[in-house]
Amino acid sequence: MGSAISYFILVPMVYLAALVFVVGVAFKAIALLRAPRHSAPLRVYPRPKAPALAALSDTFLMPQIRSQNPVFWFFLVIYHVGFVLLILGHLDLFPGITIMPEESVHMVGNGFAGVAVTLSVLYFLLRRMRGGVKDISVFGDYLLLLLLLFLFLTGDTISWANSWNEDGFVLGKVEFADYLQILTKFSFESPRDALDGSHYIVVVLHVLLANLFLMTFPFSKVMHTFFAMPLNRLRRGF
Amino acid sequence: MDQALADKLKGLFATKLSREMQLYLDTCARCGNCFEACHVYASMPETRYTAVARAEVIRKLFRRYFRAEGKLAPWLGETMELTDEALDKVYDAAFTCTGCRRCVTYCPFGIDTQMIQSIAKLLLVGADREPKLLTMLADMSIAKGETIASTKDDFEKAMQNLEAQVIEKWRSEAGKEAIPVGVEQTDVLYVALAGAHSIVPAAAIMNAAGENWTLSYFEAVNFGAFVGNPEKTREISERIIAEARRLGAKEVAICECGTAYRVMAHQWGELPFKVVSFVELIDRYLTQGRIRVEKNKLAGPVTYHDPCQMGRNGGVLDQPRRVLSHLTDQLIELKSTRGESYCCGGGGGLVAMGEKDFRMKSGKVKADQMKETGARVCVTACENCHTQLSDLNEHYKVGHEVLFLSSMVADCLLS
Repeated sequence: MGSAISYFILVPMVYLAALVFVVGVAFKAIALLRAPRHSAPLRVYPRPKAPALAALSDTFLMPQIRSQNPVFWFFLVIYHVGFVLLILGHLDLFPGITIMPEESVHMVGNGFAGVAVTLSVLYFLLRRMRGGVKDISVFGDYLLLLLLLFLFLTGDTISWANSWNEDGFVLGKVEFADYLQILTKFSFESPRDALDGSHYIVVVLHVLLANLFLMTFPFSKVMHTFFAMPLNRLRRGF
Repeated sequence: MDQALADKLKGLFATKLSREMQLYLDTCARCGNCFEACHVYASMPETRYTAVARAEVIRKLFRRYFRAEGKLAPWLGETMELTDEALDKVYDAAFTCTGCRRCVTYCPFGIDTQMIQSIAKLLLVGADREPKLLTMLADMSIAKGETIASTKDDFEKAMQNLEAQVIEKWRSEAGKEAIPVGVEQTDVLYVALAGAHSIVPAAAIMNAAGENWTLSYFEAVNFGAFVGNPEKTREISERIIAEARRLGAKEVAICECGTAYRVMAHQWGELPFKVVSFVELIDRYLTQGRIRVEKNKLAGPVTYHDPCQMGRNGGVLDQPRRVLSHLTDQLIELKSTRGESYCCGGGGGLVAMGEKDFRMKSGKVKADQMKETGARVCVTACENCHTQLSDLNEHYKVGHEVLFLSSMVADCLLS
């Protein structure tokens, strides 16, 4: 029974999650593109000399947060940079994609990216537990942060477990690449043989949480990943 | 709330769901960075007075009725049913927000709370729960447009009675009326507010500049925008647009009223004439040397309050400062100024509605900043702001003299 559930999480559910993510995001994008445009400009003044650059800066450097809450800004930057490194690290596992040197046993960020996002999410969670931010938070906010926290913790555990294991990297980049090959080839083989490590269950949990995150993505505020830039364009008026 | 009303309100809500509005409603991360942006929160630090808390009221309704996640997972706490109690919250959100859009500058995504609150106001209109005084004032403006033929003579007589006051500030050229009304092929159609204070100084300035101008029969203020009724907003604006077309005006100058200026200049769209604020016109006259003013006639330091709808939301930021540079050597900026300026607390229809207790409490941060300047005079270019700043000045014993920019210029005109 347990192995059937693990198989479902590691193979069919991954496809399902990817499908929900792609269709969900596409649906949102199409719905937005079909919606009528607001007739009046929504910019604020003074207009910057280079509105496009200002919008890019707003989106990626978040000066509004830096000036109001530097600590929060620090963790936001750490989190977003860390998240990008993690995406690169996971892409590196796919067959045919090489980001880190092939001889390296580490993922992009050498494990620190995972620690950075974990600590950041922990800060975001604690921040939501006091003061005015607590007042405006809803159950869904905590749930999303907890989902991310455990997703990152299991990721960290996989990364650390490799170091702790006396046999070294029993579940290293090669093994994960083998697992991803099963997925990319749609062979529907059991990944258990490829992921032959004592912390297999942690990998299953990690993939389960990643699946849930992907499936939640299009229906949550995480959509700001795609919306931040168009919104900042509106504010800067270009 | 009965089902028919709920359905009607949902229908009204749907009319507001432009692409931009959906982005605003879908994106907020509830990070709380907007807290300090709001003058109400800065003066009375209660969470319900934050931009995000106000927007959440509308966002919860949006997710409940227009998003699958709200229908499928209400337990996430992100939804709210449309009930009478919910409308109480909608009212509180809509009419504690002055629509100053300072929060837009604080939000990492630039979410526009005023836009979101336009849904709140429309829902209240639909539920017949909006402030009735604002609707009544809007209706009066519209009625004036419909009955203009019968009131024209009275209006012209009233203007003739004001001419002596204009001439007192600036002599009238021979054969020219001090307050021309209904002149065709005019270069400037000036749209004032009801009241001599909005007409006399402007007339003196335009006469001094030798402008070919005429006064509109209509008052500029748009109570439709304050109450959040798009139909009435349009009807009120259309009176002025039709008049400008009829007179063949090249330019429409809106008096010192922030909302009237923004509605006409920034929210209407393409018009066959240019729309400027009267402050821009004064700036042009001074720059072109068409008028001259006596510098430092008013002794003491001067500070300038940027009306939100003209400054942050209308882009009229440099012009008033250039005008003031002709009038004083002692301009002291408020601590939060230009695009960062705090709302005075009188916008969004609050001055017209009375609401003095709330206005005084929520305007504390502005009063404190006025005091900090040590100025003797506080100048502004908006009727609502002028009323609110005067009230704050008195309530908090700031010790300023609150003046309109136009009256300050008119009093300092040099021949």
